[in-house]
This record gives sequence, structure tokens and C-alpha cells, in this order.
Amino acid sequence: MTAATPMSLLEIRGLTVRFGGLVAINDLDLTIRMGQIFALVGPNGAGKTTVLNCVSGFVRPEHGTIRLAGTDLLPLGRDMRARLGIGRTFQNVQLFSSMSVLDNLVTAQHSRLRAGMLSGMLPFGRGPAEDARARERAREMLALLDLEAYADVIAGTLPLGARKLVGVARALVLKPRLVLLDEPAAGVPHAEVTALAEKLRSWRDTLGATLLLIEHNMALVQAVADSVCALNYGSKLAEGNPREVLSHPSVLEAYLGREAGSEAGSETGSEVESRDAEG
Amino acid sequence: MAAQQTPGSSASAPAPTMARLSRLAWVRGARVLTQGGGATFAVVALVLALLPTLFDGFFGFSAGFQLHRITLIGIFVIAAFAQNILTGYAAQASLGNAAFFGVGGYMLAWLTNDLGKPYWAGILVAVGVAAVVGILVGGPALRISGAYLAIATLGLVFVTVSLLDLWDTTAGRQNYDLSNLPALLTDDHTLYYTILVITVVLLWLGRNLLRSRVGRAWIAIRDSEAAAEAVGVNLARFKLLAFVVSAMLTGLAGALYATWATTASSSMASADQTIAFLTMIIVGGLGSITGSILGAIFVGFLPLLLGQLPSPLTIGSAQIQVSTLTTGIYGMLLLLALVFFPSGLSSLGGRGRALWTRLRSRAGGQP
Amino acid sequence: MTAVLQVALAGGVTGSLYGLLAVGIVLIYRTTGVLNFAYGAIAAVCACFMYVLLTGPRLNFWLALPLALIFAVALGIALERLFARPVLNAPVFTKAIATLALALVLQTVAQQIWPQLAQPEHFPSPFEGHATRIGGLYISAIGVTVLGVTAVVMVALALFLNRTRLGIAMRATADNQPVARLMGVPVGLVFPLVWALSAVVAALTGILFASQQAVIDVQFMDPLLILAFVAAVLGGLESLPGALLGGLIVGLTDSLLALVLAGRHVGALDVSDPGIRAALIFGGFVLVLLLRPQGLFGQAVLRKV
Repeated sequence: MTAATPMSLLEIRGLTVRFGGLVAINDLDLTIRMGQIFALVGPNGAGKTTVLNCVSGFVRPEHGTIRLAGTDLLPLGRDMRARLGIGRTFQNVQLFSSMSVLDNLVTAQHSRLRAGMLSGMLPFGRGPAEDARARERAREMLALLDLEAYADVIAGTLPLGARKLVGVARALVLKPRLVLLDEPAAGVPHAEVTALAEKLRSWRDTLGATLLLIEHNMALVQAVADSVCALNYGSKLAEGNPREVLSHPSVLEAYLGREAGSEAGSETGSEVESRDAEG
Repeated sequence: MAAQQTPGSSASAPAPTMARLSRLAWVRGARVLTQGGGATFAVVALVLALLPTLFDGFFGFSAGFQLHRITLIGIFVIAAFAQNILTGYAAQASLGNAAFFGVGGYMLAWLTNDLGKPYWAGILVAVGVAAVVGILVGGPALRISGAYLAIATLGLVFVTVSLLDLWDTTAGRQNYDLSNLPALLTDDHTLYYTILVITVVLLWLGRNLLRSRVGRAWIAIRDSEAAAEAVGVNLARFKLLAFVVSAMLTGLAGALYATWATTASSSMASADQTIAFLTMIIVGGLGSITGSILGAIFVGFLPLLLGQLPSPLTIGSAQIQVSTLTTGIYGMLLLLALVFFPSGLSSLGGRGRALWTRLRSRAGGQP
Repeated sequence: MTAVLQVALAGGVTGSLYGLLAVGIVLIYRTTGVLNFAYGAIAAVCACFMYVLLTGPRLNFWLALPLALIFAVALGIALERLFARPVLNAPVFTKAIATLALALVLQTVAQQIWPQLAQPEHFPSPFEGHATRIGGLYISAIGVTVLGVTAVVMVALALFLNRTRLGIAMRATADNQPVARLMGVPVGLVFPLVWALSAVVAALTGILFASQQAVIDVQFMDPLLILAFVAAVLGGLESLPGALLGGLIVGLTDSLLALVLAGRHVGALDVSDPGIRAALIFGGFVLVLLLRPQGLFGQAVLRKV
């Protein structure tokens, strides 16, 4: 059914990123079509998160172009890209931890709301009215993700699994055209992966969004992705439908043989990162 | 928290008039008052309103003097709130707020004394110039952060002190005395009420602001800069806005302080003053309006309490001039607060309340 | 020409003092993450102790000096125990505010113990009044001493940090505390050592500055402190030679401005005032930070997302 909408939403051409002397991404081309669920796979350090960071603006590439529905993203700041309709989650979640879950989702609608200093200071008029509508949208999104029970809980006190889901809700609440998901299945119990795959598909259908996800969990990729691209050392190994790509010899060699180990590695990696971010 | 109470009625009303909206706000305000903390709020309001009369009864001939000293706390509340907006909410490590405070005081003195302008014009200029200084400091703050920003803003304080000193020396004066104040503001009673009303109104507007889109953006920056940007918050714009709002409020507090003291001096912009503001918000509680109020009361009352001690104070064979201890005691309290109550007095309230409800439910559970 | 050399010399001397303070600031910041705004007060308290030894029991300067340095070591260790350890895990900004509070406490306590130092007092030193002329150049004994002590301190620190086990342990702690701990570095020993070491540097700077000024009071280091921080930041807050270089840049700029602005007026304003110089240096510093937010010699830090 995704093949019925062949229009491309995100076009990455000739993307090259260097950190110091290290080539993180080397001349990468990717095309993601409207309504697709597109998965980026590859071992740790393959450059998956870097691609995501280039799209959302947290990393500036050395060469290449990134276009969202024809608009060149590279000259735009991070906040402007959010305005254009890109939502994202973070590997280390990065919720607004002192706010309630509902307020997290209201804050996520920042670019949709208009109230400035003056209307912010008054308890009547435009500010409160648009805030009320934002709360309504936030509650709808919480309902869609079965998170209503958490609405008034302070986000920082939630267990990791729930925080990750709130992170997804926050990325989805403005119904963005493109949603970037950084390892949605990390930390999800094995038995619930199929359920997560179903949910991802149903959210995509309800919201009409396009999903670009990074994932180590091959079961999830198999179950959910319309299209997969495998990276290693910043270059494309294979691209196509999940079954072909995941059974491709060079992908197996680079990746699948070490799946369990690399998954554990990515867990500790993200923990270290989140501690860095706090310190 | 009140941001979660859905005011559904006003949202769905078809283009309601301004009058009707404000009436709804009043109705809502009244409803808030009658719930929960309403009784406490009413008692506090009543005490604050009747304070001058109470003082007349208690202190007799020194009532005016005592009231004047209490009035200072209102000014501190504004300055502490301003520091809290910048540091507690938008998480900008500014040690420079005393500079805004001094600039506000000197601008008012200059306008009303030397230029002979009316008082309200002096206040406007004081707030405006403080805002400009805020932009000058906030601009660099967009590129530098953490330790670097702390040093840069503390440097601003040192520079401001020496420039204000230089201005005083050049003009051949010790302090900048305000001799052209409106007669009303030299009366202890009217000054008290004026500052009370200004403080309450500013806190109310500020509270609304912190619950609005702007305040949420600041808190988002504090909790996670990356996530804030990912949801479309323009970091540069909102950090700068925090600096400007904080500078304007502190500038106003400085002008009011000069009015209160009928003089402005360069020590208003000193590092000691910055430490006093930081003590207020850290002892009171970062990121909390109640914290700003409690901290300002705490710092404001300290000299009054020390004033009750006999001076010189005799401990064993040593005789200590109490007045020389004040800053050291601020420092000591700040240190103790940082070590033992890192989240401030306002969190003690929350903890106390939790304990109270637990005790009560336990008592209720076994009748 | 002579005037320029004279200015360069004066700038080098004050710059060395800024540099020494900056080195001590960087030493503590790198290893413990404390941005120590109490550093000026520490230097002042040690110099005040020296003054008391010189004027009370009328000790010889060279006898009082080692006693003052021992006092500095004790003070450093005491501060680490009583102050730095309880706030060790607080955020950087909180620790910075705590040091501001510490400065107030130190100054108040010093003022209570030595009430005579609330006002400026004469600081006797053997360098006083000794100077010579080489060519047209006026060279004071204290100036030469400052330059010499700075060189010795820098070389000694470099040798200590690079050649001794304890010094290497300190650098390991600075680079990565948890890993250093795992590798068996006695972190509990390193922290008091760093504080003691930087307190000694502070004491030396304070005594040198008091000898140069020939006056002392409890707050006499305050004007140096903020420029020492400027120096430390210019050096990138990470490197000891960078901090010294930053200090020299600040000192030279200060003397140069003093030469250029001497006796000049803008309207009624006396622009040769030190306040104007501080403002100009400070403005330049902020400009430098805007162009290079990591300082002149610092490394850019990649922000992780």
C-alpha cells in the first residue's frame, strides 16, 4: 500500500560527515518515500545516528544535500526544521523531566502556538485559549499511545519504558510529516516487540506520517519496515525490502553475527551518553 | 500545575468580549481562592494589607522606621524573582544581575536629579537601560555557557561597579542622592503600599508568564536543550528573552531600591549584591516562585535579626562588631543551604506537607 | 622605545601575577570541577597570615615565608575536607556559587581574627626600595622576583605533573575521574593535594603582590581575581601554560592601555582610571570569547546528542 504513494519525502544526496579525521558518513544517498516506514540498520558506529542528526540539524555535514519535500534543510536551524514538520526522539530519551507528561506534549507544540510575552502574562485571551486546544491535542495523542494514565505524572519519575513511549508521543503530537525514531525497541522486552511493530504501523496510518527509524532489533525491522538500508563505516551496504537486505551476505557478515553483543553494547553506550548530558 | 486546569468554557465561547473574558478570569480567580490554599492566601493578604496599622499598634513611635525596613523585602522579592527566572527557569548561569540592579538605581537618580525629569520617566528609562544591558550580556550568552558565562557575567559586575564609582568620583559625590522624589514616595505608608502592589502584580504576571508558552520554552531549555530545539524552540531567542526580562525586573528593583534608600551607590552593583540575590534563590528554591519570596524574606530579615543581637557581641574574651558579620553569615548560610538543602526552603514546604498528609491519613486510618 | 620596554616589563610582572592566580584556578577547576571564586580570598588570607608573622612576633621574612606556605597547605587541605568534599557532586554552577559564599566566609573570619587588616596596612618586605637602572630601564627587585618565582613555579609544576607518580595520578584524575579511580589512583589523596598545591601558589602570589604594593588588607586580592579569571578563560580553562600566557596577555594589555590612556580625558571623564581599563579589557575578553568560545588556546568540545 505504500507503493501506491511513490512521491519521495526525504532525499539525501552525497552526504559526507567527518569528525576530526574520522569519516562518519561517506557519500550517502537515501530516498524515503511518503508514508514509508524506513529502517536504518548497521553495527555500532556505522553512522546511523549521525544520519538522523544531519536530518534534524544536530550535525552539520561536510558535503551533500538533504531535502524534505523539495525544501533544502541544510541552511535551516534545528528549530526551523521542527517547524517544517520533522519530529524526533533521542536514544537517551531527553524528556522535559521536571514537567508532567501532558506538559511535555504541550511544550512539544511550541512551534504551532503563537503566544508571546504579552499574551503569556495575561490569564485570558489568546494564550490560555490556544493552550487549552494544545492540551486537547496532547490528550488525544496520549490516548492514541495508551498513555492517558500518565498525563499528570512528572516525566522524570517514569520508568524507562514509559519515558521512551512519552518521547515518541512528543515527537508525534504535532503530526509531523517525518518522524525520526532513534532505537524505539531498545529496552523493550522481547515479547512486546511484535506489539510495538503493530503500534508503529497503526500510528503511521492514523497520523499519515513517514517514519525513519534506527534499530538494532532485527525482529522489529522485519516486522515493521517497508524498506531497509544497511550501513557500515558510513557507507551503504545494501538497500531494499527487509528480507533481501537482512539476508544479504555482506550485511550478515558486518552485522548479524554480532547482533546480541552489539545490542548490549548500545545499551551501555546510551547510558553513558545520558550521564554525559546531565553532567 | 494550574496550567492543567482546563478553562474549557472560555475556549469554546464564540469571540467573547474582553470584558467577559476578564470577568471569567475573576470568577476563576475567586474559585481558586476558595479552594485549597485560599484560606492561607486570604490571611496573608489581610496581614499584608493591615501591616502598617499593626505596626502602629506594636511599635508606636518607631512604627514608620520598622515599616520602612520591611518594605525592602518587597523589592528583594522582585530581584530574587528576576534572578530565578534567569537561573532557576531558563538555567542561565548569570552572576551579573547586580549590574542591572545598580544601573536601574543610577538611571533613576540621573533622570530625576540631574535631568529634572518626572519620576515615572526615570523608572521607564531605568527599566529600558537595564534591558539594553541585558541584551549586551545575553547576546554573548548565546555562544558561551556554563563556567565561561559565569565568569563573563561576574566580570560585568566588577566593571559596572568601577564605572559607577568613576561616575561618582567624576561628579564629585559619595553616593547619588535622590532629592527630587515625589513626596508620596517619601512617606513610609504610601511607599509600603506602592511596593506591595507592584510586587504582587509583577509576581502575578510572572506566574502567568511562566505557565505560558514562553515559560514552558524556558523550562524546556533547562531540562534538555537538544529536545527543546527538536520541538522548535529557538534557543537564541528565548535565552535572550530570559536575560532581557530578568534585566528589566532587576533594573526596576534597583530603581525602587534607590527610591527606598533615597540614594544610589555603586555597592548596589557589587559582587556582594549578586551573592545576596543568589542566596535568595538558592536558599528559597531554584525554579520556584514561592522560593523567590521565601528567600527574599530570609535574606531581608537576616540583618533585622542580627540587629537584635547586642553589639559588640562578647564571646569569651572576644568582642565582635555584629555589623561586620553580616556578609560572612550570608556566606555561611548559603554554604549550609547548598550542602544540606540543595532544593531550597520551598521544597521543605512540599516535604512537610507530604509528611503531614501521611501522618493525618495514618491517624485517620485507625480511629 | 624605553617607555615601551618599561611598559612591557611592568605588564610582564603584573601579567605573571595574573598568570600565577590563573594557574591555581585552572589546577583546581581541571581536577575537581570547582570554579574557585574564593581563590583571591585564599591568597589574601595566606598573605595576611604572613603579615601577622612579620609584624606580630617580628619574624624574619625568610623565616616567615616557609611558615606561611605551611599554613597554605593546611588551609588547602582543610578547605578540601570541609568545603569541596560536601559539594563535590553538585553541578558546576552550584559549586561556583558556593565558592563565592566561601570567599565571604573566609574574608569575614580573617577580619574577625585580624581586625587591624580591615584597613590597608603597610606590608614590610626585603624587596622594598631596592631597584636598579639598566640603560634607561627602571628595574625593581620585586619585579625581578615576581618573574623569577613565576618561572620556578611553572617549571616545578610541569616537572611534578609529568615526572612524579603523584603528579601523573593528578593528571589522570583530571582527565577522567571514574576511570582513574578504577585504575587504582588514590583519588581521595589527589583532591586534598590539588587544593594544597593551589593554595601554595595562591599564597606565593598573595605575598608577591603584597610586597609589590607594600600594602595589604583582607580584600586586597579582589581586583586581581576577576582578571585572573579572564586569563584562565583565555587560556581555555584547561591548560597551565595557557593560563600563564593568558595572564601575560592581560597584564601587557593593561600596562599598554595605561600608557596610551595616561592623563587623557574625555569631557570630565578621566579615562586613565583603572576602572576604564578593566572595562576595556573586559570588553575585549568578551569579544574574544564570542569569536572563540573555547578561549584562545582551548580545544573545541563536541556536544553529544
